[in-house]
Amino acid sequence: MTLWQNYLRPKTVAEAVDALVHAPGPALPIAGGTDLLLDLKQGRHAPVHTLIDLTFIPEMTLLELRGDELFIGAAVPVNRIALDPLTGRHAQALAEACNLIAGPQVRNTATLGGNVAHALPAADGTIALTALEAQAEVAGVSGTRRMPFTSLFLGPGKSALDKSAELIVGFYLPKTGKGQASCFKRIMRPQGVALPILNCAVWLEREKDIVKDVHIAVGPGGATPFRATEAENTLHGQSFNSETLTRTLESLLGQAQFRTSARRASADYRRHIVGGLFMNVIETAWKRAE
Amino acid sequence: MSNSSVGQSLPRPDALGKVTGQTRFSGDLSRPGMLHMKILFADRPHARVKHVETGNAQAAPGVMAVFTARDVPVNEYGLQIPDQPVLCGPGSDKPNTDIVRCMADQIAVVVARTESEAEHAVKMIEVDYEDLPVLTDPLQAMKTDAPILHPDRGDSNICVHYKIHKGDMDAGFKSADVIVEGEYHTPVQEHAYLQPEAGLAYLDEEGRITVEAGGQWTNADQSGISHALGMPDDRVRVIYPAIGGAFGGREDLSVQIVLALAVWKLQQPVKIIWSRRESIVGHGKRHPITIRAKWGATRDGRLVAAENELIGDAGAYMYTSNKVLGNAAITSSGPYFIPNFKTDVYGVYTNQLPSAAFRGFGAPQALFMAELQMNKLAEKLGMDPAEFRLNNALQDGLTMNVGTPAPGPVSIIQCIHAARERFQWNKYRRRRTKPHIRRGRGFAAGFKNVGFSFGYQENCWAKVEIHGDGDIERVIVHHAGAEVGQGTHTVMRQVAAQVIDYPAEKIQLHTSDSATQGNPGSASASRMTFMAGNAIKGAAEAALAKWKTEERPAIAEYKYLAPRTTPFDKETGHSTPNFSYAYVAQAVEVEVDIETGQVRVLRVVSADDVGKAINPDLVVAQIEGAIVQAHGYAVVEDYRTENGRVLTDQLSTYLIPTIRDIPEKVDSVLVEVPDPNGPWGARGLGELPFLPLAPAIAAAIHDATGVWIDEIPFTPERVLRALGRIR
Ligand SMILES: Cc1cc2nc3c(=O)[nH]c(=O)nc-3n(C[C@H](O)[C@H](O)[C@H](O)COP(=O)(O)OP(=O)(O)OC[C@H]3O[C@@H](n4cnc5c(N)ncnc54)[C@H](O)[C@@H]3O)c2cc1C
Repeated sequence: MTLWQNYLRPKTVAEAVDALVHAPGPALPIAGGTDLLLDLKQGRHAPVHTLIDLTFIPEMTLLELRGDELFIGAAVPVNRIALDPLTGRHAQALAEACNLIAGPQVRNTATLGGNVAHALPAADGTIALTALEAQAEVAGVSGTRRMPFTSLFLGPGKSALDKSAELIVGFYLPKTGKGQASCFKRIMRPQGVALPILNCAVWLEREKDIVKDVHIAVGPGGATPFRATEAENTLHGQSFNSETLTRTLESLLGQAQFRTSARRASADYRRHIVGGLFMNVIETAWKRAE
Repeated sequence: MSNSSVGQSLPRPDALGKVTGQTRFSGDLSRPGMLHMKILFADRPHARVKHVETGNAQAAPGVMAVFTARDVPVNEYGLQIPDQPVLCGPGSDKPNTDIVRCMADQIAVVVARTESEAEHAVKMIEVDYEDLPVLTDPLQAMKTDAPILHPDRGDSNICVHYKIHKGDMDAGFKSADVIVEGEYHTPVQEHAYLQPEAGLAYLDEEGRITVEAGGQWTNADQSGISHALGMPDDRVRVIYPAIGGAFGGREDLSVQIVLALAVWKLQQPVKIIWSRRESIVGHGKRHPITIRAKWGATRDGRLVAAENELIGDAGAYMYTSNKVLGNAAITSSGPYFIPNFKTDVYGVYTNQLPSAAFRGFGAPQALFMAELQMNKLAEKLGMDPAEFRLNNALQDGLTMNVGTPAPGPVSIIQCIHAARERFQWNKYRRRRTKPHIRRGRGFAAGFKNVGFSFGYQENCWAKVEIHGDGDIERVIVHHAGAEVGQGTHTVMRQVAAQVIDYPAEKIQLHTSDSATQGNPGSASASRMTFMAGNAIKGAAEAALAKWKTEERPAIAEYKYLAPRTTPFDKETGHSTPNFSYAYVAQAVEVEVDIETGQVRVLRVVSADDVGKAINPDLVVAQIEGAIVQAHGYAVVEDYRTENGRVLTDQLSTYLIPTIRDIPEKVDSVLVEVPDPNGPWGARGLGELPFLPLAPAIAAAIHDATGVWIDEIPFTPERVLRALGRIR
């Protein structure tokens, strides 16, 4: 069975965008292929003519500090993100998320760009990036621009990218400073095979026992990667204790929209387990920020 | 003997090829001029096919032929009864073959020059259906006013009904001090073997239609194919290449008949490989069974009466339901002596995928009930569950519920002792780790007949050749028994080596080919070591005797006939249904997270009476493999359907255990109480360790949390629901 007719390996972002626009269509970018090839094989994705492999573009496989930001290329495989000391230091939640995706073979090839571009509300890397307030660098015909992370998503499986002309080049994350820390955990059977039942990431900044700032993300908590803004407001500037945390969780439960997925979990189950997971994640992040 | 081989863990001759990727499975085979086949499956669970329009497909690029029901000479097949059309549609002379009864039904096949051309063309076939009411629930389907799925087979959807009745139930329950009643539900399970169905068919040098596709019984495949083609058996040849797992799922035919049909019509080699989705939707599954039970015991811990009703969903066709449910009837007492006993077992046709053979053959379902009943009674009596089992264990001389004694020696007591000791059951202390983590231990036992039997004369053929002059230079063993990954080819060599006193690794084995070999019987029902062992032993002894009288070469054939059995009496079940049983007991420790509902199995001790471990490493591998598969059944696998359609039709939605899910430690205890009829005393093993795991885990969950869960699988949600934490 042939899944494509034409396979391109551009060497620069500009070449890749050009291929996307001009190569015989339908044309699509491919990174690790761990989502795309399965979808094509199982007939869940419309046939493609041209695949544009992003993993040979040096710019997109960098992981480095740039000023006071950490840059992670969209084509960096997630096992590298999980193991790199820079992510460990500046984006611990992301390193933890990447380390939990699938099993070792998939982690060796799956990329963060693919995890995000698929636009699923509970993808592990995506939820970590949501809490870390990443920005995406997007390339199109007229050059590159930065987009706030959550503006990338329109609905389940639907990103705001123009698929026929745009790519994610990479992600910018603020470096982690003093008193800041993050954490990611999830609930599912031990080895990932698909998406988790529930995941949660928290980034926070503490000053003694006060929460100076906090970002909370939960997946799946809505149609797009869910940022629990009301819970964040509840906790913002408060002291970190069981009473404020209980109120924070109430806000989270009030805002999140849990769904029943026929093959994975019921909404009721997700509502039940989110409390324990959230407390566990935020307490871990709090301790790390000490 | 210098070449003593039985009892040694000799390495598997097939191991190197498999781990290096050299071994050729049916999907790896090819022939010059080979064409490719794609099957059009039904896209709905119950409908009359009014018309199949193949014109566009026939005209599509590369297409050599499209076949429909009209092209099948005798449009029916089935291992036990031929109740399934080969292809569903109008135009064949068998009645009702135009009716689709489940999603596994096949409508048409396309043969083309390439696989993608076949795939392209199959989508161009247009089928005009008239939908019929869909029966998904056997309890509904068995009602008298339900639509009949097989009108030519009687006026009810009940296709199997067995009764076992012994003693006086009223008096029995009157003498009981405690009674436990329960309703249990066991789920569908998918075999999920590594290798999806595939096959290559061609005309051999003698012009025979030859099918190379994995199966479990060469002769049964051969006669299923020849029946549908309306040919004598000897025009059809079945060869097994390497087989990537079977577990019962390859007992029924999948790609074989349509491949043979295409080769016969086109006179060119034809190949097919199913995708994982086609495999999951296209073959049968483990029977889901609803079980109601009422058991009573006296204060001093003696079982006095047990009454059960088992309603199994047979799915759309019979497959081996009659055999599977017969075993469920036998094992529904557990390995215990119960003076007053009544069991009713039903198999009911529905529009679900057919229920089929699967490791354990009805025993895992029946034992889930029986062993939970035992654990609940022990709790009510305030007795230790292992002790309670010992009190009631079947023993030599006691009659089974079918009114005849079990063929001896009965070894369930030894197994219970062995499991209890290795686990250190009586010294168990529950460790506390975190407040939301609860630990507990559970015990369960089981037994399983070896072989099909129930009146069927079990038999197995072998041929052994000894070549040489003064010294033996070459030994050849011919046997068609299927190597489905269990290691039977290794055991076959060991058996011949032991008799002839010749190195096992030098023995040449001529494997599964219906054209050159006699009937091996099925590689199922835990029977192959027992049956092939006896057959090869007999042939080797006869060949050796000829060798000693200077016959050169010394060649002998032998057909082993197992001891005679009898079928159930229709009303009482009175019978001698089997010639051999094997026994097992397990103790497990689990950890339950009462916040998330997740269950981890920390430790499994499995004490299995194998009679004689002909190859101890292979025995341990079977135990560990069975426990992983049973762990999937009990904890992980969660098959879902909606109105007869399979929702979990990929391994990304039908999750099976990975290395990180499975029990952390499996301790295999090999009990060896010889069976007088087994080769060197061997019994059957393949299914045994599967049987008690689910009820043992259920008992351990109860020990950890205080709740009984009477439905498999123990998913996080089901555990939390039982704990009253979610709705
Ligand atoms: C066995 C298995 C287990 C899994 N387990 C998990 C898990 O535990 N958690 C989890 O979150 N996910 C899991 N996944 C899902 C998936 O593999 C990951 O989300 C992965 O990160 C996808 O990345 P990829 O590089 O393989 O994407 P690809 O398959 O290459 O691409 C996915 C989609 O994104 C597009 N795309 C890729 N890169 C870009 C880019 N730079 N710009 C624009 N579009 C782009 C492609 O065109 C395609 O539409 C699992 C998958 C498998 C097969």
